[in-house]
Amino acid sequence: MSTQANIGAEQRNIDERDVSIEAFCVTKADYYAPIFERYQRGQLPRWHMNIWAVIAPWLWSAWRGVWLMFWISLAIDVIAVVCLMQVVKFTPLLAEAQLDPDANTTLISRYTNWINTYGTIGWAVLILGRLWMGSQANRWYYDLYNRWRIEPSVAHGVSPKRLGLGVLIILICSPITTYRATQLRLDERACFNQVRATESVESLLAQYHQVPDVPALSTAVREDAAAAQARFDQLDAISDRTAEQNTARSAARSEARDLGRSAGLVEEYLAISKRDRFDCFFIDDFPTLARLDPPEDVTYRRVTDEDGITEVVAQVKPPVEGRKVTLFTYSAESIDISINWLRASFAGAFDAMTNVLRQSLIRVEVAFMQTPWPVVAFLFLVLSWTYTGMGTTAFVASSLAFLALFELWQIAMQTMALVVVSTAVCVFVGLPIGIWMAKNKIARFITEPILDVMQTIPSLSYLVPAVAFFGISQPPAVLATVVFAMPPMIKLTALGIRQVPESTKEAALAFGASER
Amino acid sequence: MSDAVVEIDGVWKIFGDRADEAMAAIRADGIGKAEVLERFQAVVGVKDASFKVDEGEVFCLMGLSGSGKSTLVRHINRLIEPTAGSVRILGEDIGKMRQDALRALRGTKIGMVFQNMALLPHRSVRDNIGFALELRGMDAYHCAQLADQALETVSLHGYGDRLPSELSGGMQQRVGLARALAADPEILLMDEPFSALDPLIRRNLQDEFLGLSENLKKTTVFITHDLDEAIRMGDRIGIMKDGEIVQIGTAEDIVTAPADDYVADFVAGISRLKLVSAAKIMVSPEEYQARRKPIEMAMEHPEAAPEDDLDTLVELSTHSDLPVLIKSDGALVGVVDKNTLLHGLQGSADE
Repeated sequence: MSTQANIGAEQRNIDERDVSIEAFCVTKADYYAPIFERYQRGQLPRWHMNIWAVIAPWLWSAWRGVWLMFWISLAIDVIAVVCLMQVVKFTPLLAEAQLDPDANTTLISRYTNWINTYGTIGWAVLILGRLWMGSQANRWYYDLYNRWRIEPSVAHGVSPKRLGLGVLIILICSPITTYRATQLRLDERACFNQVRATESVESLLAQYHQVPDVPALSTAVREDAAAAQARFDQLDAISDRTAEQNTARSAARSEARDLGRSAGLVEEYLAISKRDRFDCFFIDDFPTLARLDPPEDVTYRRVTDEDGITEVVAQVKPPVEGRKVTLFTYSAESIDISINWLRASFAGAFDAMTNVLRQSLIRVEVAFMQTPWPVVAFLFLVLSWTYTGMGTTAFVASSLAFLALFELWQIAMQTMALVVVSTAVCVFVGLPIGIWMAKNKIARFITEPILDVMQTIPSLSYLVPAVAFFGISQPPAVLATVVFAMPPMIKLTALGIRQVPESTKEAALAFGASER
Repeated sequence: MSDAVVEIDGVWKIFGDRADEAMAAIRADGIGKAEVLERFQAVVGVKDASFKVDEGEVFCLMGLSGSGKSTLVRHINRLIEPTAGSVRILGEDIGKMRQDALRALRGTKIGMVFQNMALLPHRSVRDNIGFALELRGMDAYHCAQLADQALETVSLHGYGDRLPSELSGGMQQRVGLARALAADPEILLMDEPFSALDPLIRRNLQDEFLGLSENLKKTTVFITHDLDEAIRMGDRIGIMKDGEIVQIGTAEDIVTAPADDYVADFVAGISRLKLVSAAKIMVSPEEYQARRKPIEMAMEHPEAAPEDDLDTLVELSTHSDLPVLIKSDGALVGVVDKNTLLHGLQGSADE
């Protein structure tokens, strides 16, 4: 009776599961249902494979929504293709070297070696990777099925839209990567020369507005150059030239030279193939070489007039004639100018902060440096003795001895003052921010990434702007220490507050505490 | 105004972002829990609960976990805002109170004990107990004095300087109780105070609390999932199921006349010996004489009062073959013979 009931229940479970697999797979559920069951029972052999996942793993996974597999299989295939493309890249080079085998023995052995190694690795990665994908596909698909059962919004079924997205990703990534793998590293000058040639062609086109296209321009420039050369030759032939003729002669010579150079550039421009342009634009570096007009050069200065009123005066420098800058220089100069503006506009605030820091530093430094060394040393020892114990006290004693013996005492006291002030700043600024962060979701959302960045940049890189705003000496050092030490302070404060158990908060409320 | 200390009237609590819409739909169409969940992604926590607690009474709210009893009790000090309905404490509608008045009410009129104690781990036992007083602005000296008195009340004299983590679970809960008592509130809310303790300590604390409440006469709302506890502690019991109060009555009412199968199931395992009184099972003398034989008044019948429990009747019956006569003020009001008694014990007396 009871076994029958059990069998009934089991049948019901199986039915339910089959229905859910069908809802999950949408198509070919009759193929996946028994596989899932065998996998559950631990009876799926290691070599079991999904044939579609072997043939086109990225297409299959996009179609079925197994995105993890999509990315892994794409990465494997890209690695394999890049290796195989090395073979394509080096084979013509090898052929070229073999034209003169005696002179190129090293090259030939090197190329042969590379071709063999990359070829083997490429094929191995491709074949082993596909086999791995094939055997893994249904297992990952089963994991996805399990996640879908918990969270119905997880990708399921089959979707042409997902397939389209997968194909789009492959189209954007693969061709250019594959092409790149067949190319040697670009010559940096080549791209620069391209930009230069393009620029001069543009300015020449502006001069020769009657010519219809660049080849015509080339002829026109060549003709002008020849004309100038002819004029020069004619003048040069005269044995006793007047001063006037001399001037005309050198003018003709330099004109001929300039035009010759321009003609060279135009020819260079004409020689630039589409592929060269493509290489410079998409391969290796981001194309910052594009020439732009520089940003307006403004200097901001604080000026105090007779009435003692200070205001910020902007001085605009006229631009240098014909100066063009790259995208990089443009961005850098813009930032320079805005920092300049900040410094001039908020000089009061920066000075005030510097002053507060400096004054407190001086006070603390006086306390540490002018107290006789035996007193300071004794206080340190007593403090460590009372608050910790024997071990720490011994360590402190030896550290103090080291500082004293190596004439570092005064410097150490200075550093000590710096640490004390930095700690104070950290506490006064960090604690409120920490509490705010714990109480306010938006605050946390904004502050957390900033804190992460603060913790990860090396101190040298924020020391430079700090010096720009606060000048050299101790205050920027305090600032650097604060930037370094504050994130943990804020984060731990917020964490501590957030970790107060809900029930404790409730109890406090129940006894008449306020919400905050 | 009524003299009820706590008066809850038609309280609904619906959890979810669209609680108000769900409430309106319930009012308009009378939709059920499942439909509320489906249409508004909202969960009905408390469903139309109403009860009153009189001064000095211990009112037990009993139900399984998830039945909404803890949610309901938190409406009494407005830790949870009701979606609909009103809560009156000492005649005042606390739904309309401003925040500071509410805080004052919580600090002075209502003490609460939690299942997981919820003591502040960084404060000594004494400071924990004095917490509500301190929030009220009382000076440290008086705080400490009152806290020590409260400690004495829960027989933890001398533990004031310990940290909560140094005490056992039972002792911690005594501290929780002392904290609730320290401000001398009129109302005590006990949210499963003894559930997390082992049975022996639980029994101890129950006895102690009964003794205390005898002396202090605090109006108490006591939450429990244990029917035995509810019967021991409560003057009246409210049984909750799925957010709804299904029956309110004395332990005897509930045991002898369960409102539905759910309650009947609950009380099935309860010993009736101490709960059911003679009045509930006795047969009137006329009926007895009609069915059986006349009572021979000359013989020496055992006698009992109507409010005596079954335990007493069993005790009397064992010493005599004759039925027990139930007399009130000397007048014969009923008869209990052995059959009636056995029926009564089994729970099928008034079928």
